[in-house]
Amino acid sequence: MKNAFKASIVARDEVAPDHVELILSSPELEDAQPGQFCHVLTPGMLRRPLSFSRLDRKRGRAGVLLQVVGSGTAWLYERRVGEQLDLLGPLGRGFEPPDPSRPWLLVGGGVGIPPLYAALQCWQAAWDQPLGVILGARAATAVIMTKDFQDRGVYPLVTTDDGSLGRFGTVMGPFLEWMDRYPESQVMACGPTGMLAALHGAAKARQGSMQLCLEQRMGCGIGACLACVVPAQPIGEEGPCYRRVCTEGPVFQAEELVF
Amino acid sequence: MDLSVNLPRGLRLKNPIIAASGTFGFGPEYAAYVDLNQLGGISVKGISPKPWRGNPPPRVWETPAGLLNSIGLQNPGLATFIEEDIPFLASVDTAVIANIIGHTVEEYRQVAERLSQEERIDAFEVNISCPNVKEGGISFGHDPRQAFLVTQAVRSVTEKPVMVKVSPNMAEPWVVAQAAVDAGADMISAINTLVGMAIDLKRRRPALGGVTGGLSGPAVKPVALRVVYEIASRVSVPVIGMGGIESAEDVLEFFLAGARAVMVGTVTFQYPERMLSIIEEIPKVWRRYGFQDLPEAVGAAHLDKEGEPG
Ligand SMILES: Cc1cc2nc3c(=O)[nH]c(=O)nc-3n(C[C@H](O)[C@H](O)[C@H](O)COP(=O)(O)OP(=O)(O)OC[C@H]3O[C@@H](n4cnc5c(N)ncnc54)[C@H](O)[C@@H]3O)c2cc1C
Ligand SMILES: Cc1cc2nc3c(=O)[nH]c(=O)nc-3n(C[C@H](O)[C@H](O)[C@H](O)COP(=O)(O)O)c2cc1C
Ligand code: FES
Repeated sequence: MKNAFKASIVARDEVAPDHVELILSSPELEDAQPGQFCHVLTPGMLRRPLSFSRLDRKRGRAGVLLQVVGSGTAWLYERRVGEQLDLLGPLGRGFEPPDPSRPWLLVGGGVGIPPLYAALQCWQAAWDQPLGVILGARAATAVIMTKDFQDRGVYPLVTTDDGSLGRFGTVMGPFLEWMDRYPESQVMACGPTGMLAALHGAAKARQGSMQLCLEQRMGCGIGACLACVVPAQPIGEEGPCYRRVCTEGPVFQAEELVF
Repeated sequence: MDLSVNLPRGLRLKNPIIAASGTFGFGPEYAAYVDLNQLGGISVKGISPKPWRGNPPPRVWETPAGLLNSIGLQNPGLATFIEEDIPFLASVDTAVIANIIGHTVEEYRQVAERLSQEERIDAFEVNISCPNVKEGGISFGHDPRQAFLVTQAVRSVTEKPVMVKVSPNMAEPWVVAQAAVDAGADMISAINTLVGMAIDLKRRRPALGGVTGGLSGPAVKPVALRVVYEIASRVSVPVIGMGGIESAEDVLEFFLAGARAVMVGTVTFQYPERMLSIIEEIPKVWRRYGFQDLPEAVGAAHLDKEGEPG
């Protein structure tokens, strides 16, 4: 059926040690939105969720950029141009388009960077407000996609946990500096939970809006099994309620979430 | 080959393949992937009188040939099910089985009584076997007396077919199955998941937010077959089998062990359309192993039957 299909790998690029970007082609990818993901069949018991790293909707192409962290991503790393992947997608609620009258800030950590690049690619045209990109990673070897941003004339501010590239430390320093300068900014962020929690905490005291793109372990990927939940508003007697990352996310407004 | 299955109290399935509770939502979720009209039935996610919040994440963890889950029966409650899901289900031509859960006997009764008035509900599956909730669920499923009381309460408020879903997490599951039958159950479904756990080495913690979880998938098939076989040889009502089914051959194994229909769960996450290909394969596989129609295979592996080797 329409949302389950095979896509051909038309390009493959080893973008950093243990990181590969695969460009997939299939007409179903014409509908993909930044922030959405696909659920990829691998040899294990469950599919693997991967965000779109870039979109070429007219040609029905989309990229996925993955880091090898276990069996499924190791298998995907070995795939070659000409092979096919079995996908469900495009899935989930992507980013809301940015409001062109306000500054825009993208904050990405590790393999949270790809969906932000897709967002930039989609909405950058005719952008005349201030636009910032802050990318964080463990070390220089895990900094990805900086050249892609630069090719679009956007120069990311890079931070690394060990100081091996860009600024030493986390994305929080440059984030707070940007927000002091442009308090009305709309922020889109994706990365490790710790980073998103820190951004979420910092955003509470500020006036701008923030969209966060989340990860959670998934079963079905399409809303049926209730595996992929995260704590969310409203907070009831028993605590926060649980909402599904696969269908109600992966992109949430910061105020919808509880960290 | 006629794939239809006739079960007690007029429950008729187009074919013996039912989507297993908890793996198929309330129906609409998979509609973009599977033509629901081709399924034998859908057992919906467990329904309680009031919404249940469920267990903290992570809620799933992959294991060799298996899946551990600790969803904890999160569900939006009876009223939301009636308002939002029954109208959708009314547009689908397949048997709808309401899977019901509760903290108390009274809660099971409430759900059954209300849903008994809904024409779209064709049967009930009473879940007394979920390992992921502390009170209710499993505490009824491991005590024959409690299982009797829950089944009796449901039976007392409905004329619709009632099946009781049995846990594999005990030495003699047929004792609970028999208690349910004594209280008026028309069918037994088996198995629910096997209680287990995994450790996340990176976090040095139990992998699942609920600490323990329920194991499903091919890893549990041998256990499921044993439970179905034992129950089918001891109780008089039809058994609906499940646990790790991935192919029409697996379905035939469950039939030979004594099942009259089956449910398919975990494999759907990988292959949403797999239930349909299983349905398509059944006639071929049945014939390959020497069976001319569905009922002929039921219980054929039982040692007291004269089985013709294929
Ligand atoms: C919406 C979404 C988008 C994602 N986008 C990307 C991306 O663009 N690039 C990228 O490299 N990674 C991405 N991830 C994370 C990616 O899904 C995991 O790294 C991957 O599933 C790991 O699989 P594995 O078999 O290699 O690891 P294993 O640890 O062997 O996997 C075991 C199980 O855990 C699950 N799992 C492990 N880590 C994660 C995780 N972080 N999030 C969710 N499930 C996990 C696996 O899917 C599998 O079911 C995304 C996750 C989500 C939820
Ligand atoms: C994620 C998940 C959720 C489940 N939720 C329920 C449930 O709500 N009620 C129930 O009776 N069984 C539930 N089950 C158990 C299945 O219905 C079935 O008994 C079990 O998974 C074995 O079949 P399988 O190996 O084909 O999945 C669930 C199973 C899984 C994997
Ligand atoms: S993964 Fe099944 S509901 Fe999200």
